[in-house]
Amino acid sequence: MSWSLRVFFVGGLLSYRALFNWLTPWILIPTFLVAPIFQILLFAYIGRSAHLQSDEFYVVGNALQYTSLPCLFAMANMLADERWSQTLGILLSSPASRLALFLGRSLPVVLNGALVGAFGFVAGSLLLHVHIPASAFAPLALVIVVTAVSCTGLGLVNGAIGLRVRESAVSSNILFGVLLVVCGVNVPLDELPGWLEAIGRGLPLTHGIQAARELTDGARLGDVWSLVATEAFIGVVWGVLGCVLLRVLEVESRRRATLETA
Amino acid sequence: MRNARLVFFGWFLNLKMMMRSAFNGVLSVVWPMFFATTAFFMYRAGHDQHTLLFASLGASVMGIWSATSTSASSVLQRERRHGTLELMAAAPANFALVLLPISVAMTTVGLYSMIATLLWGHFVFGIEMHLVHPLLFVLAVPVTIASVGALGFLLSVACVRYRSAWALGNALEYPVWLICGFLVPLALLPAWVGPLSWILAPTFGVRAIREAALGGSPLGDLLAAAGLGAAYFATGVALAEVVLRSARRTAALALS
Amino acid sequence: MGVIEAQELRRTYKTSTGTFRRKSLEVEAVRGVTFAVEPGELFGLLGPNGAGKTTTIKMLITLLIPTGGTARVLGYDVVKDAREVRRRIGYVFGGERGLYDRLSGLDNLRYFAELYAVPPREMRARIGELLELVGLNGRENERVEGYSRGMRQRLHIARGLLHDPPVVFLDEPTIGVDPVGARELRATIAQLVAGGKTVLLTTHYMFEADQLCDRIAVISKGEIVAEGTPADLKANVTDGRVVEIEVFGIEDAAVERVRTLDGVRSVNVEPREQAQVLVVQTDGRELTHALLGHLDGAQVGRVSAREPTLEDAYVALVSES
Repeated sequence: MSWSLRVFFVGGLLSYRALFNWLTPWILIPTFLVAPIFQILLFAYIGRSAHLQSDEFYVVGNALQYTSLPCLFAMANMLADERWSQTLGILLSSPASRLALFLGRSLPVVLNGALVGAFGFVAGSLLLHVHIPASAFAPLALVIVVTAVSCTGLGLVNGAIGLRVRESAVSSNILFGVLLVVCGVNVPLDELPGWLEAIGRGLPLTHGIQAARELTDGARLGDVWSLVATEAFIGVVWGVLGCVLLRVLEVESRRRATLETA
Repeated sequence: MRNARLVFFGWFLNLKMMMRSAFNGVLSVVWPMFFATTAFFMYRAGHDQHTLLFASLGASVMGIWSATSTSASSVLQRERRHGTLELMAAAPANFALVLLPISVAMTTVGLYSMIATLLWGHFVFGIEMHLVHPLLFVLAVPVTIASVGALGFLLSVACVRYRSAWALGNALEYPVWLICGFLVPLALLPAWVGPLSWILAPTFGVRAIREAALGGSPLGDLLAAAGLGAAYFATGVALAEVVLRSARRTAALALS
Repeated sequence: MGVIEAQELRRTYKTSTGTFRRKSLEVEAVRGVTFAVEPGELFGLLGPNGAGKTTTIKMLITLLIPTGGTARVLGYDVVKDAREVRRRIGYVFGGERGLYDRLSGLDNLRYFAELYAVPPREMRARIGELLELVGLNGRENERVEGYSRGMRQRLHIARGLLHDPPVVFLDEPTIGVDPVGARELRATIAQLVAGGKTVLLTTHYMFEADQLCDRIAVISKGEIVAEGTPADLKANVTDGRVVEIEVFGIEDAAVERVRTLDGVRSVNVEPREQAQVLVVQTDGRELTHALLGHLDGAQVGRVSAREPTLEDAYVALVSES
């Protein structure tokens, strides 16, 4: 049991550092700090131009949506890098518990996502003079973490797809874009066509964003509890799907030797 | 004359290479469309055809910028990985003239996105496409591509030295969309953004394309775009010599 | 005047360690290399991985600025007259990289021909000749991503010769190529020199240098440790003998004792399955008894003595520095 825990913590952290490659300020600052601010500004101004929602609406939506960036890319990159440096085969043929392995790798991703989301929130609110009630800070932090967890679940599925297809960047970008359009980030769900709305409700982010918006409008944690729980649940479902997919891929690749090159 | 051949041939072959990567091609078309779609949904709520066409034209140029900013910096990383960056540096041809066609080819790929976005806006969101000055519109597009390509070239010169400059290139995507007035009229942005937008060719490219379609005089904007493009190129040439020398000093041309 | 002249060339690299508290280290890859290559010569730079061969070549072809010393190619300084140098040299390196995978072999050659300012009128003819020279006729329209390693190497050579440079630099050209392909490549290289070009070749294959080169410089840890014709280098060792002793578990102290023995030129320990082999180069004296004496405590298996080869000379040179 404790061995699995070690695999979980130490393995996760080490692989993140070794393989993720994002730890220089030259990459961190433009990607995690500059870009989300501009995404928030872009849509806030479009909102103003079209006389739609308040700035607060766009800050919440885009700050949370941007959380998905590290979650999606990190998982896919990690797995792809393992494949490239040919350690994936070694990993999967090791006796370590699969669950501990991949959950361990997810932990730093969630942390990364949550930090990015929090930063976007703070910076966006400051820049656009959006007032967030102090009582909402702690519940918002929780919502951000839960959203990061659920996005990471989607990230696992993305990572599995990325293993099968050679370039994971494409699916990561596409998922990011889909989340942007259908999760109520900038367009309220009821303004979307029915089928898009349905897709949006099944994806991470949607409920988290709703919860966050209600919190910034003054709601209490107790009021949005069911939304947060739904968000977490959706995340777990996607995460499990991701693990299942990885298992399927592993089995298939053993039969067809696709693990190393796809 | 030889230089013209070098530039043209380089552009043609790089375009050929890029067209052969189906995945990247799909992404370069699809990615800006997510943002365009969001903008269309948002503007549609206002029921204003004119604004929608304004947004549609601006959105169509988003792909041209994305193709440039996201790839100008990473293409050099690709050349470095291929081992061909060294060969280009060791060749007698002027390094700037070898780089320029690569950037312009990248930007040309953005043409796919432009057409796709316009069609998407028309068929899915019912945006009517009227071209008041069709000939000027057709002229405005390559001028925009060339001047944005020159900006991409300037970006790539800066990246010869810095291996993680691709992140900077990615991060420049949104700011230009915002500052150059692609989706939001410049009048809405704070006053100090104005001068910043005037040194960026995409501002004038978008304006020229809009004026050609909606009626107005795009010629002034086209001249401004062309002038900026020439300025970027000249700056890039000068910078290339300096940067290359520095790269030779710090061994930044190779991966190993 | 030599076609290629290197004078006390030095090159230092700065690398950094650690993630959060970066420390920078200076690595001196080339430490005062001096040599000259005469016109029409095939000069070999021989050394193990990491010896500084590639760094030296890159300085000569203007890709790296030396941190010390000077170099000239055909009289032009590699730093100040870089453009002039580039016009007159061809650069070919081994390995998978250096070509555009998604283009055909022909398109690759046409692209580089433009880069090297080959006059348009001559381009077609030149490309045709070169494809024939390297044996890629008929395959030039296929995409490079489908080429075998040997074919890529041959295309590389064609590329390096597009502008008919008088000086050609080959950096480990046969690395990773199968024996038959490598043999053909070597024949092509020999042909180049026969045609009047001056060639500088780097390699870590001893027999390749022996077979092809007019003169060899052995480089190890950034310095030249020997220079001369292959015959000269062999002469350094023919008066000696090599004793190979199979041991099972030897202590470092014992190896050191052997090393200090009078008449021993060099000692190398080579792993071989369950045991190790102590390869001792002596100056010809009968030392077997003394050697065994110094190895008391270790279990000894087979003992044999033989004539030294050029490879032993090379190993001795690069391991003692």
